[in-house]
Amino acid sequence: MLIGNDLVDLRQAAADSNWQRKGYLGKIYTPEEQAMILEAAEPSVMVWLLWTMKEAAYKAVNRMTAIRSYSPQSFLCSGLVTNGSRATAIVSHHESMIFIKSEISSRMVHSAAALKKEDLEELTLSYMDNSADYRADFNRSSPGYFLTKSSTGLPLMIHHPTGCKLIASVSHHGKYVAIVYSGSLLSAD
Amino acid sequence: MDKRELITELKTIVTPYAQDPEALDNIGEDTDFIKDLKINSANLVDVVLDVEEKFGIEIDNDSMAKMLTVKAAIEIIEDKLAGVDRK
Repeated sequence: MLIGNDLVDLRQAAADSNWQRKGYLGKIYTPEEQAMILEAAEPSVMVWLLWTMKEAAYKAVNRMTAIRSYSPQSFLCSGLVTNGSRATAIVSHHESMIFIKSEISSRMVHSAAALKKEDLEELTLSYMDNSADYRADFNRSSPGYFLTKSSTGLPLMIHHPTGCKLIASVSHHGKYVAIVYSGSLLSAD
Repeated sequence: MDKRELITELKTIVTPYAQDPEALDNIGEDTDFIKDLKINSANLVDVVLDVEEKFGIEIDNDSMAKMLTVKAAIEIIEDKLAGVDRK
């Protein structure tokens, strides 16, 4: 189904990736996106903001098509609007448009993607500490909701009061986990 | 360079990025960079750049899109070294 998300722990990314390495930006970003990065007040934040947008969009598309591919340049960010710690954008991929909403803090960048703009409004977002027990931690702190995995290994949120299986997406990086789930999109799993 | 040598070279390249030491020890043609070695997808770019530098080849976007496994990487390296442009 049709949502995806991606989180980057900015401290972890700074330790693991040197985006200023020769050739790095050119493999991932179009010339327009590279210009956005280089003109940004904080280029490294823009690197990871655009990255999470592309990854979240890829995950949403991959969940629908099940086709794996490593082609960040085929996910094009446009229409970026930032408003304090929030941002929205559109990622286009071949004939598809994927809608993105993002959150930016000094510690992390997170993007959620949906294939319909109205689905984006229905998403609930929870941040947790990244640990082996993040699912148990989430379930303890979220009465009425139960995060589990589907038979195919994809994240699945069960809404206890109704028994509905809700579509969910999980991303972890460094110290953080982001869990998004939709109040309206039912999982087919 | 035969397949075994290529795998050895690839192992050296991916070692700094692989987060699953056991999968790295058992690296083979069927190893998946992301699923098995747990390489962060942002570091897969580094693998691509390291392969380009090591073998003196250029990996275009279409080839990079397929470079998810050791097997795919070997095919790409062999094709580029042979000057073949496999579509």
